[in-house]
Amino acid sequence: MSSSLNVLGWIFMITSLAFVVGLTAWCYLRVLTTPDEVPEPAKDFHSA
Amino acid sequence: MSQSKQEWGSRLGVILAVSGSAVGLGNFLRFPGQAAQHGGGAFMIPYFCALLLLGIPIGWAEWTMGRYGGRKGFHSAPAIMGVVGRGAIARYLGIIGVLIPLAVYFYYVFVEAWCLAYAWEYAKTLFGGAAAMGVDAKATLADQTAASSSFFRNFTGSHSDGVMLGGSLQESVAFWLIVFAINVWFVFRGLSKGIEAFCKWAMPIMALCALVVLARVLTLPPNPEHPEQNVLSGLGYMWNPDFSALRDPGTWLAAAGQIFFSLSVGFGVIINYASYMKRKDDLVLSGLTASSTNELFEVGFGGMITLTSAFIFLGATGTLAAVQTGSFGLGFQTLPVVFAQMPAGNVIGMVWFFMLFLAAITSSLSMLQPSMAFVEEALGTTRKNATAIITVIALVGSLWVIWFSKDLAALTAIDDWVGTFLIVVLAAVQVICFGWVFGMDRGMKEAHEGAHMRIPGFVRFILKYVAPLYLITAIFMFSKDNLGTWIRRAIDNPVERNTLILIGLVVVFLAVLTHIGTKRWRAAGLDVDGQHPPQD
Repeated sequence: MSSSLNVLGWIFMITSLAFVVGLTAWCYLRVLTTPDEVPEPAKDFHSA
Repeated sequence: MSQSKQEWGSRLGVILAVSGSAVGLGNFLRFPGQAAQHGGGAFMIPYFCALLLLGIPIGWAEWTMGRYGGRKGFHSAPAIMGVVGRGAIARYLGIIGVLIPLAVYFYYVFVEAWCLAYAWEYAKTLFGGAAAMGVDAKATLADQTAASSSFFRNFTGSHSDGVMLGGSLQESVAFWLIVFAINVWFVFRGLSKGIEAFCKWAMPIMALCALVVLARVLTLPPNPEHPEQNVLSGLGYMWNPDFSALRDPGTWLAAAGQIFFSLSVGFGVIINYASYMKRKDDLVLSGLTASSTNELFEVGFGGMITLTSAFIFLGATGTLAAVQTGSFGLGFQTLPVVFAQMPAGNVIGMVWFFMLFLAAITSSLSMLQPSMAFVEEALGTTRKNATAIITVIALVGSLWVIWFSKDLAALTAIDDWVGTFLIVVLAAVQVICFGWVFGMDRGMKEAHEGAHMRIPGFVRFILKYVAPLYLITAIFMFSKDNLGTWIRRAIDNPVERNTLILIGLVVVFLAVLTHIGTKRWRAAGLDVDGQHPPQD
């Protein structure tokens, strides 16, 4: 456990970081670019 | 009713508030220790499995139950569980959802005060004060560790009962008073103007502080006396995988446990926070975003900073010893030694402990809100009165923890019984109520109201079968491994025993409130047992 970061260590570290950073970025992008409330569709076109 | 109408100001606000509640000391201190002890990088396999298969789905269930309860006019766990679980049993079990955050607050606010006080100790050194925590970088590592441990013992009063409140005002108690007052003030201001407003500032500042510390740690030069102790070997200590650990069931349980406690599911907070959302507010994407924010802090910062820096200055043996002392040992006794060796260590120490303070306060704010909402709802009283009642209870509980500080016995008793065991129990109750009483079809339909993304189909199976089975197994195994020891400890140690009696009194109080509240809610024509669909 006291050796330098090996290839598998790099892979696990980069993959884990990419996953959490990517997921968080994707989520916030969706949150910030989607309107707060989805408008209800009008039930009757003529009365809308 | 004289209750105040509470609501969130924005979707981002509720996400940051839930994230703030989840991100706490465990992200920075517990997670890296768990990973290093259970296979390093290989730990991430069961960890991410637990996140995707347990943490996020149970979180979604909690968000859904909370918003559904809110649509029926309820905001407290007992009332909401009564609706979702359709009856008195679920309602009274819901008391756990108020008890957990309130009782954990008793000690958490004290720990929070340590974080702020440690940040202050480092700030003083920048203006010519003595070495922070009495750690002299010129002394031997053993002496530095002894000085840091001695400072911690005196600072927290862990050497003797009653010392913190006898005689002159202790520094940690002064900071506790400040932090306690800040908490009460922000919670009293309400969801939007208090908790949400605070979290909107605190979360980005916390991320900024973490980035500063991360940048410092990743650019540290090798230890001049041990050049093999450098950033890459520190990262190797944390991330190099040991696949043999995956054959140990304990690794998989530890990963699931870490996810579970880290995301604050089964804590009673999400269900309360979500109850203030409107019917068409998205909760699927919001729940996922809050979980991913927590993971960013845990894996991205906790996984990169803590053990890497410890390894560079303490080596493998010192770091392992630090990890084995637990979160408090690692955070408050070992890291001051690490910062003493580090170039610009006083600045980094100040930023680090201020970041921990922000992580702690965004969590503690969420701990008072559920009980205040419950008192307001059960008694039909004002926010002001509810604040007064909960402040008195929290003061008594917190003073109890501070007075019985020897070996942190009162703190440990509450943390074990309430902050660890009851969380799993509440989560099991919630998941069973959601999947088996409320109904999975109804639950998924409710979750997708206003949703900005779909919940994957396999989550139904997870919530109905896997999560209850896992939680019941966890309760069984946990009870088998720990309850015997804990009960013996409570019998032998009067402080632990009396602490449990104190918790019992709080439970009785909450049960009486539930009884009064149920009568009131019925009289007001509310659907207490969840027999009818919401009217909105």
